[in-house]
Amino acid sequence: MFEYALSVMIFLPILAGFAMFLFPISSGTSRIAGLIVSLVILLMGVELFLGFSGTAGYEYVENRPWIESLGITYGLGVDGISLLVLMTGVVLFPMVFTIFTTQSKGYYANLLVAQGAMLGAICATDMVLFYIFWEIMLLPMFFMIGIYGGPKRLPATLKITIYTIAGSLLMLAALIYVGVSHHNQFGRWTFDIVQLGVLDLGGGFAILAFLMFMMAFAIKIPLFPFHTWLPDAYTEAPTAATFVLSAIMAKIGVYGVIRFVIPVFEIEFARFAILLSLAGVVGMMYCGLAAIAQKDMKRLLAFSSASHMGIIALGVFCMNVQALTGSLFQIAAHATSTGVLFLFIGLMEERMGTREIGDLGGIAYRAPIFATFFAIAMLASVGLPGTSGFIGEFLIILGAIKFNAFIGVLAGTSLIIGVCYMLWMFQRVFFEKTNERTMEFKDLKVSEVLTFIPIILLIIGMGIFPQTFIKKIEPAAQLQIAKVFSMTQSQVADTTVPTPGHNNQKN
Amino acid sequence: MLDFLSFLPLLIIVAGAILLMLLSAFEKIQVEIASFVSMGFFGVAFFVQLVVGSGPELVIFSKIFNGMVVSSDFTKVAGLIILGCGFFTAMSAHSYFKVNLFCTLEFYCIMMFGTAGMLLLTISQELITAFIALEIMSLSIYILVGYDRANVTSTEAILKYLMLGAFAGAFFAMGTALIFGGTGTTTFSEIGAYIAVNSASQPLLIAGASLIFVAFLFKVAAFPFHAWVIDVYDGAAIPVTGFMATALKTAVFAVFANFLTMNSELHSSWITFLFYVAVFTMFGGNLIAIGQSSLKRMLAASGIVHSGYLLIALVAISADHFTGSVIGYYLAAYAVSTLGIFAALSYLGGEGEKRASFDDFKGLAKVRPYSAAAITVFLLSMAGIPPTAGFMGKFYIITSAISAGQTALAVLGIVSSILSMWYYLRLIINMYFHEAEDSFEIVGSPLATAGTFALVVCVFAIGLYPIII
Repeated sequence: MFEYALSVMIFLPILAGFAMFLFPISSGTSRIAGLIVSLVILLMGVELFLGFSGTAGYEYVENRPWIESLGITYGLGVDGISLLVLMTGVVLFPMVFTIFTTQSKGYYANLLVAQGAMLGAICATDMVLFYIFWEIMLLPMFFMIGIYGGPKRLPATLKITIYTIAGSLLMLAALIYVGVSHHNQFGRWTFDIVQLGVLDLGGGFAILAFLMFMMAFAIKIPLFPFHTWLPDAYTEAPTAATFVLSAIMAKIGVYGVIRFVIPVFEIEFARFAILLSLAGVVGMMYCGLAAIAQKDMKRLLAFSSASHMGIIALGVFCMNVQALTGSLFQIAAHATSTGVLFLFIGLMEERMGTREIGDLGGIAYRAPIFATFFAIAMLASVGLPGTSGFIGEFLIILGAIKFNAFIGVLAGTSLIIGVCYMLWMFQRVFFEKTNERTMEFKDLKVSEVLTFIPIILLIIGMGIFPQTFIKKIEPAAQLQIAKVFSMTQSQVADTTVPTPGHNNQKN
Repeated sequence: MLDFLSFLPLLIIVAGAILLMLLSAFEKIQVEIASFVSMGFFGVAFFVQLVVGSGPELVIFSKIFNGMVVSSDFTKVAGLIILGCGFFTAMSAHSYFKVNLFCTLEFYCIMMFGTAGMLLLTISQELITAFIALEIMSLSIYILVGYDRANVTSTEAILKYLMLGAFAGAFFAMGTALIFGGTGTTTFSEIGAYIAVNSASQPLLIAGASLIFVAFLFKVAAFPFHAWVIDVYDGAAIPVTGFMATALKTAVFAVFANFLTMNSELHSSWITFLFYVAVFTMFGGNLIAIGQSSLKRMLAASGIVHSGYLLIALVAISADHFTGSVIGYYLAAYAVSTLGIFAALSYLGGEGEKRASFDDFKGLAKVRPYSAAAITVFLLSMAGIPPTAGFMGKFYIITSAISAGQTALAVLGIVSSILSMWYYLRLIINMYFHEAEDSFEIVGSPLATAGTFALVVCVFAIGLYPIII
């Protein structure tokens, strides 16, 4: 039974979502149904996590030919790289259904479809299958922002949709190029990522294809300078959509780089690593500084999320085990902290009708539990030792210094910016004077406390016992890095092309 | 026997057309019945076409016809698409003419004659046969376009189409004459054999082939012969527009591909030309589509863009191992989604096609969520978003282009589909993100509605089980 676990986890929410669209049920029923489905997925995910053995290879593999003439398979599997990303998509989802109780049927249905598609993108081991899920997961977001978003939702929707689709279509061309190259070199069609890893690409088209792949993922992450859609989309989207976008979907961009770009384009990746990591650091600083200036809490968090994605991406571009492990860990850590913060802001907006920092103040006196939870998530987000955020950031900075001292120092110092805007925001919103608006603020209800407690405990647990998670992801990270090095070293040795700027010998 | 069976769908359609013609001459039946009769004939012909296997190549009645008509897996698929288009067009016409009362019995008869011409065009491997088939098809379509005699735009459309189409037909005839002058034959296989021995770069052959290309490019509305298509599609009745956009394009692309692949030297000598035609068709079509405010005109322009994608496939086909799988698949994917939109418009358009612009469909999702969802599926398929048929079609075309070494063309195709996102999304945005101002009442028969939802199933079925010939 459990060998089809991944298929069930992908298609159960998608089918449930479509059933909701098709059948006339009330919004209350659809919320309950969504909650049940997401809890079932959660249980399966926990079971899968516990049963995951932590060897470097794929587990829970499903592989079935789909379109044989082009070697496209229905291939699913989880390894150390995808495990934590998958868990992020699984663990956080039930919260959305317990907290937002008053939304319409389409809202919950879209969320379920989004979850299924994201899990599909995370589990796919075939590039075409990945691409299909990657495109599908955008559609529910498109509808959610457009239908349930804020007042300026239309431009925001168009911006995110056209931006993302432009990126993904370029990726489509690039992935077909990779498949055709494999066909030309080995005489048979495949889009399986393990088999594509042995590909020996070179020349101008390879660089072009690499850039197209990177563009698609850079837009999704978003990496500086492709981040301009993010503030609008995150601010205008309904809270659940912002949560899904920031906590999970952005992570799939990073995951895509690790899973699909690095194994195929080792040489190109090594050449561009410095440039890309600079983009990560610059994005981190720029979005952090922009966050300081924001008056709207959600927009502030949007920039902060973009800033954190910069450091996660940096960890990937450093190409060593520490940084990669740190990135994979930070993916989960950031999802728990920022995701929860977005949900908290959604709650505040629901209760107060405003997100303007200037309108708020003194909430901590009225709602101590809420303030405590918020503080924990916020401190995790700025990377306080003892919370989940610290481990990941520490590992990434360590790896970055190993990779290039300059970038490491830059990244390390720009973490301070995060502390600035977060603590300042916390002070203005939760302390200082209360006003008549915040006098009314009610603390969390029991159901809400029960919803958030597991995640808050998880944040602390991940900070204190990181080894539980790291030991599952580290073998895969080591294998990945080892493969990249064997490929780049051997290929750099026999290629005659000059490789300006490539840095792999340094490590 | 197999010869006869391969011919049978064509005969069934002709028989049906003649039957309807006689019935209409004696005014024995009503218009609604006529649409059921034509649906029946289309259905039977489709079934026969589906069951009869033809293999890679079958020269039908080679002793009688001397290799004029050749059926293959590719023509079989093209025929299936055309018959399917006929079936669904008859379905949507049934609903459409409940509200728009200018239909007479001859409508379905003429449509079936047109279909017969298209079927003959797909299997013709000889220039004069192709010319006759092309004219049978075109004449029927001219009449269908101008069927609403009281409507000024419709009259304008038929005038434009007839005049320009007559030129295209004349070019084709002239090209045939020149090729015959150069090679001494009009059969594709013999022309191919002649080129193999001699050369494709003789003045007569170049001139003849280019004139024939002009005719084909005109019929599929490729750059620079695309200007007529906007007004003609706009003037024709909605089901007719859907029929033209799908079945006619399928037939012409089938014979176009057959013509191009008769010799690899011929194909390779025209690649550069087709490359630029494809690029300009895609981008020209996009530029026109982006500016439209009427839905039918936008769909006409997006039809130009899709012709551009199909031209990419024509550039990339291998004349030596031609299976037509990519073109056939893309035509099927394009046909189901386009036909689906036109079927939906047939029952949503209302009396006198009063809902025609993007703005008229604001808030459709609030009032008619299922129809809006169906239209969304068709639009996403045309835009090439997975898991629809349009995505797999685009996937195959890009794959074939890159395999054939046409990476630049593949990338340009991708850029063009990024541009096309705007006008597909625009309708979705209007349907979903605005409040309804209209009640979207539906009068008439539910056949078009049923056809729309059947086509939604087709979009997913073709997309998820991509059967390559």
